[in-house]
Amino acid sequence: MNRTNKYAPVVLERGDLLSVENPARYTGGEWGITIKQEVLDEIQRTGETKYIRYAFCFPDIYEIGMSNLAVRILYHVLNQCPDVWCERAFSPWKDMDRLMREKHIPLFSLESKTALRDFDILGFSLQYEMCYTNVLQMLDLSGIPLRSCDRSEDDPIITAGGPVVYNIEPMTDFLDLVMIGEGEEMIAEFMAEMKKYKDSKKTGQPMTRETFLQNAAKIEGVYIPAFYDVSYQEDGTIHDVKPNRPGIPAKIRKRVILNMDQAPYPTQSIVPNTKIVHDRAYLELFRGCIRGCRFCQAGFVYRPVREKSAKVLCEQGIEIEKATGYDELGMLSLSTSDYSELPGLTDSLLSAFDGHHTSLSLPSMRVDSFSLELTEKVSETRKSGLTFAPEAGTQRLRDVINKGITEEDIMTSLALAFEGGWSSVKLYFMLGLPTETLEDVIGIADLVRKIEKLYFEVGRKTGQRMRRLEMTVSTSMFIPKPFTPFQWERQNTMDEFVQKQQILRDRLRSKNIKYIWHDLDTSVWEVVIARGDRRLGPVLLEGYLAGHIFDAWDDCFSLGKWMTILEKHGLKSDFYAIRARTPEEVFPWDHIDCGVRKDFLLRERERAYAEQTTPSCREHCEGCGAAGFGGGVCYESK
Amino acid sequence: MTLLAHQPAFIYRLRFSRSGSLSFIGHLDLMRTFERSLRRAGFPLLHSQGYNPRPMLVFALPLGVGISTTDDYVDVSLAEARDIMEVMEGLQNALPDGLRILDGWPVPETGGSIMAMVTAARYRLQAQQIFPALQRLFLRSEVTVEKRSKGQLRMLDIRPLMLALEHGDTEDENEAIVLVCAGSHENLRPDLLLQALTAFEDFPLQNAANCGVERSGLYAGTYPDLKCFKEMI
Repeated sequence: MNRTNKYAPVVLERGDLLSVENPARYTGGEWGITIKQEVLDEIQRTGETKYIRYAFCFPDIYEIGMSNLAVRILYHVLNQCPDVWCERAFSPWKDMDRLMREKHIPLFSLESKTALRDFDILGFSLQYEMCYTNVLQMLDLSGIPLRSCDRSEDDPIITAGGPVVYNIEPMTDFLDLVMIGEGEEMIAEFMAEMKKYKDSKKTGQPMTRETFLQNAAKIEGVYIPAFYDVSYQEDGTIHDVKPNRPGIPAKIRKRVILNMDQAPYPTQSIVPNTKIVHDRAYLELFRGCIRGCRFCQAGFVYRPVREKSAKVLCEQGIEIEKATGYDELGMLSLSTSDYSELPGLTDSLLSAFDGHHTSLSLPSMRVDSFSLELTEKVSETRKSGLTFAPEAGTQRLRDVINKGITEEDIMTSLALAFEGGWSSVKLYFMLGLPTETLEDVIGIADLVRKIEKLYFEVGRKTGQRMRRLEMTVSTSMFIPKPFTPFQWERQNTMDEFVQKQQILRDRLRSKNIKYIWHDLDTSVWEVVIARGDRRLGPVLLEGYLAGHIFDAWDDCFSLGKWMTILEKHGLKSDFYAIRARTPEEVFPWDHIDCGVRKDFLLRERERAYAEQTTPSCREHCEGCGAAGFGGGVCYESK
Repeated sequence: MTLLAHQPAFIYRLRFSRSGSLSFIGHLDLMRTFERSLRRAGFPLLHSQGYNPRPMLVFALPLGVGISTTDDYVDVSLAEARDIMEVMEGLQNALPDGLRILDGWPVPETGGSIMAMVTAARYRLQAQQIFPALQRLFLRSEVTVEKRSKGQLRMLDIRPLMLALEHGDTEDENEAIVLVCAGSHENLRPDLLLQALTAFEDFPLQNAANCGVERSGLYAGTYPDLKCFKEMI
């Protein structure tokens, strides 16, 4: 590789930028970005810099990546670290990908337009499994060897973090280092090691990559995939996963931030120049979820619940609104209604924003009289749709999945909503949940029809003139995820899913109802990767080399092609997707410790089969293991 | 319907330039960028009435993606009177790199829409041998090109919209200044002019694609009696 013009900015011609969709994806220059001029000056002077050049990489397009809160937080945290300059890079969309390959333009950072191969480290934020091939795309466009074992001493360190790392095994061939859990503190410790590594390169005795990785492995939460060997049994299941070097921990425990009030949070966050998917400022109310819905991975891996105080949130909200100029502030969490100081927080923010034309958005709310009142208060504009996620059609199945919502809850709150003038309702369900029968599927249609009837009854009873009812019913496919009580379950077969969809299509024909269903094909592939092991690495590599990128985009995805490659490597999707596991089976992710113990998950699984619900963390502690982190809801006075 | 008492508006006309990465955003994105910058600056923006109140910003003429400018205008309506220097400096400090406020002055509420005033625009085009190519194009009596508008292709003679051609500061063949009709009545976008160059004058596609396009003047009035916006202070 030609290294004589290291750090030279990559220049795109005007014609190139104008030939692609939304060129603002590639131009940077947003309000609130960090430009460390001292680094550029040092390079100008000496050709090198003592700063760690960190490229924060998001393997999807700009508009999606910039909508992600983790990107905003970690960009801020990294740029607060001494001697670190963090810049951003996103996956170029297919048009730009083609152009860059044709013209041999290397992938570059948005801030200084430096080629990614000139960075010391590339940190990938992995939010969903379907983005894996885009990691390979970004490495390839950067001219960095795709596989960790092919990288030289001069190549950047390739790391990843994010929610999917709780089972990152299919990606381990390509990653030098993985950060398990919340990055805020871990990343500062990691950067300190990185600094020693970089500084040593200027001395007569440069530290090797191997030594650096061994040092980094001592940081809690850091997982070096190459330091573990996986052996398999004859039936294809895992025999064991063992460290292959001395002093390497048998289990990697996730990191958590206990004091959310003191956690770094960017109030001067970047404001994109072009419209992004979630174009608003954010507050993060809390991490984790007290509910424990048994299908929900986030509900287990983010334990324990840790709240920010309303006082801190209010201060941050006021500061963010002023510093970014956004006219919408989103309240983020897994279940906004469960935030213990919600009424006080929204009241203080609303009075602080009086006359500003700033609205609050409250996603992930349970619908009840309080939230309806609140929704009416926070939105200055017309009534938008209400969203419910009963997930299952019958009470029996809702008990199985521990979705603490009854038909009565739904009907009472919807009656209130309809009386209040709401006429648009979205309902989310899952198909293929454990123990589901056709009766449960029919139960979805029955529930939807009851709601439809309720709307017109409310009209008759109150004598109101009702608007046209708009109901959207959406079904997704249940995906058994690691670290949930359902991690042992099988997924439904394609035929089963198709049959269930057909039942609903037949029963939901009405001018008031729109039924939409998720793409089946992507759900099958998602479960293969979500529960996959290291043998999927070569499959992903071959798929990427055959041109598969942007798998998260339905129109880019081809299940047939992936199946062919999978079989070529002697693997079967049924093994990963529709095989039920025994409690004794060693999972590919068993060496990762998210704090929640396996015996608790098994207990929850038994309760699911007994159709028993489990109370929320605030009502009763079930001893899941998350108390071992020493903070959060586990220590609140009950 | 509630009748709203008329709220007095204090309108400030700001002259601005844009360059670099900010040149690659579309008109709606530019509007949003100004809105958010004005909010960051903390000005009491007047909002439109109705379901979806928006800050009252009126741009003289939309800027296409990829076009920089040294002479554009936006009218900003505030609920309270402010010193013009305060408006200019406050906004400048809140704008992303690439947008600059060059000048500003208050205009009366009854002054009419800035959009309706625009009749012509001047563009500086920079590409290999563009001047002689444009010279030849200006000699034609008719220049009919395919124009896509609202999803439909139609034929349009742009020659009547081409007003004048000049050299840049130097007698450089690679630079040209064109004056064209602009505004809500008749408007010639520079990309259409470049398209005509490739269609009629063998101007290389590559040069047209990479041609630098900068708006360098906005005018009111009837050609040739045009009045430059910046002289209307």
